[in-house]
Amino acid sequence: MLEPPLSCQLSITRKSALSFNNTIVTVTDVWGRVVSWSSASTCGFKGTRKGTPLAAQTAVGNAIRAVVDQCMQRAEVMIKGPGLERDAALRAIRRSGILLSFVRDVTPMPHNGYRHPKKT
Amino acid sequence: MATSLSLSNFFSFLLPPNPSPPKAPPALNSISLSSQKPKNAPLSWSAPEDQSSSLSTELSSVISPSLANANTLFFKSAYNIQVIVDDNEPEERLLNRFRREVMKAGVIQECKRRRFFENKQDEKKRKSREAAKRNRRRRPQARFSQPNKQEVSTKKRDEDDEDNWDMPNEALPY
Repeated sequence: MLEPPLSCQLSITRKSALSFNNTIVTVTDVWGRVVSWSSASTCGFKGTRKGTPLAAQTAVGNAIRAVVDQCMQRAEVMIKGPGLERDAALRAIRRSGILLSFVRDVTPMPHNGYRHPKKT
Repeated sequence: MATSLSLSNFFSFLLPPNPSPPKAPPALNSISLSSQKPKNAPLSWSAPEDQSSSLSTELSSVISPSLANANTLFFKSAYNIQVIVDDNEPEERLLNRFRREVMKAGVIQECKRRRFFENKQDEKKRKSREAAKRNRRRRPQARFSQPNKQEVSTKKRDEDDEDNWDMPNEALPY
């Protein structure tokens, strides 16, 4: 029906606003349709260990392993959210041997949005 | 046909700004500007793009060969930083480049700041701190204005000393 995607997008989101921190990796095709996803919690980490760089590495590894069979050659990385796991995830992607075309930071920046909870 | 032709025009129009990747500006205030750069595709284009995407790739490869491999979502998404990766670039170098761009754009600082609400006091403090940082780097000439202030203050002190604070030598009535 449609052409098989030649290049894919890897998006790493790291939720910081919530009390528990997690890394989620989703692999989509060029048009934005999700192919597969993986996260630190699906890799077996729980609680505070989900927010560690090691968890990010394993999540990325899992996500890529699931998609390598589908002939993913090139990838574009979109990173969202602050944190130490960003570097670890990037490193893991690089080491897995996939060609990277872009690395982008897509952290959502409000044009002064809603009022945040008070300082604790 | 009309949609594909218009699509090709769309692509050729947007090509010139694309090859020069937009670099994130140093000031924090202009982050919103940088994020809006490629998000200029109006909503009306999104529907025809999906339908005739196969046609568009062929056309785009004819008109602009570099676009054949480019991501069609490039035009839709807004981003803060973009780092184009060359082939065979060492891991550390790529990471360092990315980190430097992030520092320049101040993405992580912004995220921290926006976690909790900031009242006016905190905002003023933060802004004065940032302004001090910026001015310290760019204005070493500000040191010349300080000696003038010191001279003025010493002059004032001399005038005060001339005031007669001593007790009068004349005998007091009581």
